[in-house]
Amino acid sequence: MPGVWVIAENSNYTLELLSKGLEIANELNEKLVAFSFGNEELANDYISCGADEVFVLPALNRELPFEAYVPLIVAEAKKEMPEAIIVCATQRGTELASRVAAGLNTGLATGCISVRVDKGNLVMERLVFGGAAVQTVICTTRPQMAAIPPGTYEKAQPREDRRGQIKVVAGNVETKVKVVERRKKEQEEIDLTEAKIIVSVGRGFEKQEDISLARELARLLGGEVGCTRPIAEELHWLPEERYMGISGKKVKPDLYIGLGVSGQVQHVTGIRDAKIIMAVNTDENAPIFDAADYGIVGNLYDVVPKLMTEIKAALNK
Amino acid sequence: MLKIIVCFKWVIDEADIKVSGKSRELDLSRVAYKISDYDRNAIEEAVRLQEQLGGSVVAVTVGPPTAKQSLKDALSRGPEKAVFVSDPAFDSLEPAQTAAILAEVITKNLEYDLIICGEGSSDLYAQQVGPRLAEKLGIPCATYVEKIIIKDKELIAERKMRDGIEVVSMPLPALVTVMPTINTPRIPSLKQVLGAAKKPVVNLSAKDLEGKYEPCLKTTSLLAATMERKRIKFTDDPQDIRKVVDALLKEGVIS
Ligand SMILES: Cc1cc2nc3c(=O)[nH]c(=O)nc-3n(C[C@H](O)[C@H](O)[C@H](O)COP(=O)(O)OP(=O)(O)OC[C@H]3O[C@@H](n4cnc5c(N)ncnc54)[C@H](O)[C@@H]3O)c2cc1C
Repeated sequence: MPGVWVIAENSNYTLELLSKGLEIANELNEKLVAFSFGNEELANDYISCGADEVFVLPALNRELPFEAYVPLIVAEAKKEMPEAIIVCATQRGTELASRVAAGLNTGLATGCISVRVDKGNLVMERLVFGGAAVQTVICTTRPQMAAIPPGTYEKAQPREDRRGQIKVVAGNVETKVKVVERRKKEQEEIDLTEAKIIVSVGRGFEKQEDISLARELARLLGGEVGCTRPIAEELHWLPEERYMGISGKKVKPDLYIGLGVSGQVQHVTGIRDAKIIMAVNTDENAPIFDAADYGIVGNLYDVVPKLMTEIKAALNK
Repeated sequence: MLKIIVCFKWVIDEADIKVSGKSRELDLSRVAYKISDYDRNAIEEAVRLQEQLGGSVVAVTVGPPTAKQSLKDALSRGPEKAVFVSDPAFDSLEPAQTAAILAEVITKNLEYDLIICGEGSSDLYAQQVGPRLAEKLGIPCATYVEKIIIKDKELIAERKMRDGIEVVSMPLPALVTVMPTINTPRIPSLKQVLGAAKKPVVNLSAKDLEGKYEPCLKTTSLLAATMERKRIKFTDDPQDIRKVVDALLKEGVIS
């Protein structure tokens, strides 16, 4: 039995893929294979979480990047000919998946937002054109490959009665790429994806100090401040963790308030799941008004103070 | 002297896409095209490295004959030569095909120390062409790069990962895919725009390729991502703003 393989750069992401992998393997009537990188103990966890077999690859020297596993995985896939390979689409995972796919001359759908099985094919949905459209693809070659972002599925839960095999894959991990330094990111204390209300700062703000206006509104409503990408990536006025969109956070607040946000599709894609969208923009033709439930055409510097006055009156604050 | 190849894609400007009626079908009848956003960063980075270290920059694109319009734009940004691989069948290539075609064209026609691609294209954003191309050429690569340093025949790249920055080193020849944060592309001057028309372009077609590059992926549907919204507009006078606050209260989203 060729199998469905799940590959992720760490154990949490592997567990997420195992829960989806179990469903896919059942539907394809294949065994489920997980990969453990230099850690046999994890192999048992993966088995109790649904893997029929775990391939344990040699541990990496500290100076090697995760993608150094590509040649070993390609060689193993040529021997075993898996039916499907599912990779966790972190940046490292996406590179690894692309190179494995190239090595196997097979198709890969990256950034999948959903995957299901139909007539032996993975039916994979992904966003294209900055989020303006959803593309559905199937793979006409084998193995069929999908890369799915972390956080898409809940982690698989262990069950005592599961049994599986462990296979140690020997071989040299070699690459010309060496890691010379790793700088860990400081974790932001807030998680925008959990916020009930988000006040979003766009380039309509003239200066960094003016963000205090958004902060005051957020405080009044018990919400958080978020932003568009240029505010974080170009101007560095707010941390990266606070920008929303196709390449940033996908949020689902009850209320999103965009201030001086134009509403380009790449940003709007991140706020599609907001219950209510409100926007303030001077340009009555700004695309944000098509994406909003309630739009106020006006200057944010004038509208926000008035809005706060009305909110205070309405909420008796 | 560094020989640099930069790959770019000519894509639909997504801001021009309309949705036809209620069908969720895409209306592409009035779209403009552009050099894919991150590929502009790739071209800029290639030109900056050349300015620093000397050498040459060749821009390569694969696409349908209509992508010819992209050449002047690309060349006005600094590369001295372009290679245009075109065929009517190259209208909707998937990444496996594009990478394989690029690999053949580069192997047969170009010398290089460094290949630069954008992290992903602004239409499909598959993020595959760069790493697939490196794999086909058998050269080391670094994806999602925010900073490049070249010393002798060694490349040092800062990769932006989910969990932080990873600095990697590798010998040349190598391939990198760049993030939009790596630089701010310059706007070409009038002189550069005029000069672009005089720069050499090597035209290749499917007939010049040995390989048959069949797609590995099949698109079964392409539909607009729509959103139901009320789309009610108000003015900025206090009465209107009160109406908005009342509406938010009624929706139960503020309290
Ligand atoms: C591949 C790709 C991926 C991207 N991913 C993302 C992403 O994930 N997230 C993201 O946010 N962007 C992303 N972008 C960028 C995106 O296309 C837009 O450029 C960006 O969202 C625009 O930010 P903005 O609305 O703050 O700025 P602008 O587009 O400059 O808009 C500013 C708005 O403010 C209004 N304004 C000006 N002054 C005032 C005032 N005093 N009061 C009220 N309104 C005012 C203007 O009318 C204008 O509409 C991506 C782009 C690409 C190409």
